[in-house]
Amino acid sequence: MANNRRGALLPAESSVQKGIINFTKQALKQGAFDAVLIPSRVPAGDSYTYFLIRNEAVLEETSPLPPIMPVQGARVISSITRRGKGKNRIAVITRPCEARATIELAKLEQVDLENITIITMDCPGVMPLSDYFEDQGKGDNVFEDASQNWNSQHMRLVCQICDKFSSVGGEDLHIGTMGIKGDSILLIPRSPKGEDILNKMGLSLEEDISAWEAGVNKLIEERKKKRNESNEGLRSDIKGIDRLLQAFSTCINCHNCMRVCPICYCRQCHFDSDKMKFSFDDYVTRAEARDGLRIPTDMLLFHIGRMLHMSLSCVSCGMCEDACPMAIPVSQIFTLIGDKNQEAFDYVPGRNIDEPLPLTTFEEEEFLEVEQSYAGASFRQEGQNG
Amino acid sequence: MQGPLSDRRARMAKVLSIDKSTEEGLKELLKFLLENGKVKGVVALRKMGEYGAISYSLITSPDDVESTVPLFPLMPVNLAKQLSSLTLLEAATEPIAVVMRPCELRAFIELVKRTQGSLENILFISSTCGGVYPLKMAVEGTIGEHLSEYWKAVGQGELVSNSRLACQACEYFVPYTADITVSLLSNKGINKVTTLFLNTEKGENIVEGISGKFSEGDLDIATIEQIRSKRKTEKEKLSDETELKNLGIDEITKTFSRCIGCRNCSKVCPACYCHVCFFETETSQHGAVYYERELQKAGCVSMLSDTIFYHLVRLFHVSTSCTACGQCADVCPADIPLWAISLKMGESVQQTFDYLPGKDIEEGLPITTFLPEEFAGVV
Repeated sequence: MANNRRGALLPAESSVQKGIINFTKQALKQGAFDAVLIPSRVPAGDSYTYFLIRNEAVLEETSPLPPIMPVQGARVISSITRRGKGKNRIAVITRPCEARATIELAKLEQVDLENITIITMDCPGVMPLSDYFEDQGKGDNVFEDASQNWNSQHMRLVCQICDKFSSVGGEDLHIGTMGIKGDSILLIPRSPKGEDILNKMGLSLEEDISAWEAGVNKLIEERKKKRNESNEGLRSDIKGIDRLLQAFSTCINCHNCMRVCPICYCRQCHFDSDKMKFSFDDYVTRAEARDGLRIPTDMLLFHIGRMLHMSLSCVSCGMCEDACPMAIPVSQIFTLIGDKNQEAFDYVPGRNIDEPLPLTTFEEEEFLEVEQSYAGASFRQEGQNG
Repeated sequence: MQGPLSDRRARMAKVLSIDKSTEEGLKELLKFLLENGKVKGVVALRKMGEYGAISYSLITSPDDVESTVPLFPLMPVNLAKQLSSLTLLEAATEPIAVVMRPCELRAFIELVKRTQGSLENILFISSTCGGVYPLKMAVEGTIGEHLSEYWKAVGQGELVSNSRLACQACEYFVPYTADITVSLLSNKGINKVTTLFLNTEKGENIVEGISGKFSEGDLDIATIEQIRSKRKTEKEKLSDETELKNLGIDEITKTFSRCIGCRNCSKVCPACYCHVCFFETETSQHGAVYYERELQKAGCVSMLSDTIFYHLVRLFHVSTSCTACGQCADVCPADIPLWAISLKMGESVQQTFDYLPGKDIEEGLPITTFLPEEFAGVV
C-alpha cells in the first residue's frame, strides 16, 4: 500500500487528537493551506460536525477524531466544491472511508479536488449514532478505549470488519497513530500536495515507517479474515430473492439510507421521481396480479436499484445503517455485495484518483464473459413488472 | 378549541355488532365487503409473508383478509401519505375500504385540501385509537409480547405504557370523518363483540346484508372526555420532561444541535407533501462562494448551519396541518423529540386560527382564507 517508505514524526503532547490539532495549526501558520475542514463539537456539546476554519485559536477547540460520524465527510466536501472550487486551499481532516468516498465523488464530478488536500488518520471506527446519543459521557469513554485497543465491539458493525482503516493511497497525507510510541504522530506524505505540506513545515522524512506499517498490516489481515467470515455468514442469510426480501421486510421506504449515502449523489433519485407515481388502476392491477400489493410499493426494487448504482463505489462507511429507522443491516448487505462487485473489477473505491470507474471503461476480454453468459440464457417471453 | 365530540352530529349513529372479537369482527366486515363486490380492494395492515413484518397492503381477494392485522398497534408509515400516492394521479376509479388511525385520516383530509389526493370512492374505517408502539419496538421484535397488555389497557381506556409518546399525549383519538368507527377505547367487550358505529349514510348502506345485530347508539361522551383528560395530563407531563417549555432561540439551538441533516422527518411526514423540498433545491445549495464568504466573516463556519433553519421552516410549513402522528420522531436517527416540538408548534398555531386539521373537509386551510377582522390583528 505504501509508496513512500519514510515519514516525519511530530510530537503529539497529550493525545493523538492534540497531535493532529498541533500539526494542523502549524501547517496553517506556515501557509501550507488557507483553511481547514475538520470535525468539532457543536456548540451545545452533544454532537459533532465539520467546521471550516481558518482561525488558529478555533482550531484548538476541534475534535479531529470524533467518536461518531453524524455526516459523511465526502458529502460535506461535495457541498463546498460541487459547483466548482473556491479560492481557498482547504485541508480536510477526515477518516479513510470519508476520503475514499470523496475520491469516488471526484470521479463522478461531484467534488473538485484541485484546491483540496485530503489528510487521513488511522481510524478506530465510530460508534453507532443512537448508542452515542443515549449516553454521550459513556460514549466518549467507550471511544477512548477503542482508540487504544483497535478492536472495540462498540463501534459500527462495518467498522469492526473494516480492512481499510488506515492509509489506502488516494489521500495526500496520512497520519499514522497506531502503535506509535512516545506520544507522537507519524506524518506520511502520499502525494506531491502532501510532501509540500511537510516541506512548508520544514519537516524532513527521517522516520522509518516499517514498524508502524507492520502493525497496520497485521490488523488488516485480522480484519480481512473477520470481514470474510461476516460476509459469508450474511450471504447465507440473504441468498435468493426470498431471503433478500426477508432481510428488507421491515423497510418503510423512507430512503434515508440513500440520503445519507456519500455515493448516492443524484439530485433527484429515480425512486422519488414522477416515474414512480402510478395511477390508481396500476396499483389495483398489481395487487390483483399477486396476493396483494405491499404499500409503499417497490421497496426491494429501490434497494436493488441503489445497489446497482453505487456498490462499485461503496466504501462501507456504515452511514446507511446508522440512519435506518428499522435497523436493517443495510451497510453489511452493501458491504457483501460491494466487496464481490469490486473484486470482479479488481477495483478499490478511493484507492487512486487516476483509476477510472469500472463501468466507464471497457476491456476487450470482458466482452467474452458478457457474450458467453448470454449465449446460454433462455428468455422469458412475458414480462411482469414489479 | 372545540372538543372532539362537541360538534358531532346530533342524531344517534347506527351501530352494528358482530359476535366476534373486535379484530376478527373487523376482518369479517372487510371480507364481506370484498366477497360481495361492495369494494374492489382493501388497504389495511398486514403480516407480510412468513417473516411477520407488518406493512400496509392493498388486497383485492377476500382470501387475503385472513393475513391482515388491521388493528395491530404499529404505524410503519403514515397511511395518509400512501393514500395520497394511490389517489394523486387519479381518484379511485372503483370503491376501496381503508382502515386507518384517526391521525392518519385527519392527515389525509389535509392532503386532499391541498389537492394531493381524493376522497372519492373511499370508505374510511377508523377506530377510537389506543395509540401505536414506537418503530423501535418493531425493530426489537417485542411488540408481540406486549399485545395482551395493549388490548387490556385499551379495553379499560387506560394509557398504553411504552406506546409512542405522541400517542400518550394525543387528545384526538376519536375519528372525525370516518364512515365506520370501530369502538376500541374503554370498550370492555372488545374481546367478545365487535362494535361498529356507522357514522355516515355510506357506512350504513355498504354493510347492508352483513350478518350482525343493528341498533342505535353513540360513543359514551363522558368516558371519552375522561380518557381525554388523562391524555391531556400526560401531555403536560411529557412536555415538561422534554424541557421544551419556552422554545426560545437557546432551546431551539440546543434541541436541534445533534440533527444530522438527513431530513428524514420531512420524508415520512404526511403534511410535508412538497415533491421537491426547498432545502433540496439548487437555491439552497451553497457552494464555495458562500462558505468562503462566511469564513471571511467569522473565521469559522459550521457545515451543518442550515439544520435549524430547515427545522424552523418545516415547522412553519406544517404547523397548520400537523396531526401529531409522531412519525417524525420515530425515524429520527439522532432521537430528537420532534413529536413534542411539532405538537407544541402545531397546537399554538392551530389554536390561533381556531382550526383543527382534518376535522372537516369543508373547512378552508387557515392561510388560504382571510377574515376581515384578522386584518386588525395584522396591523
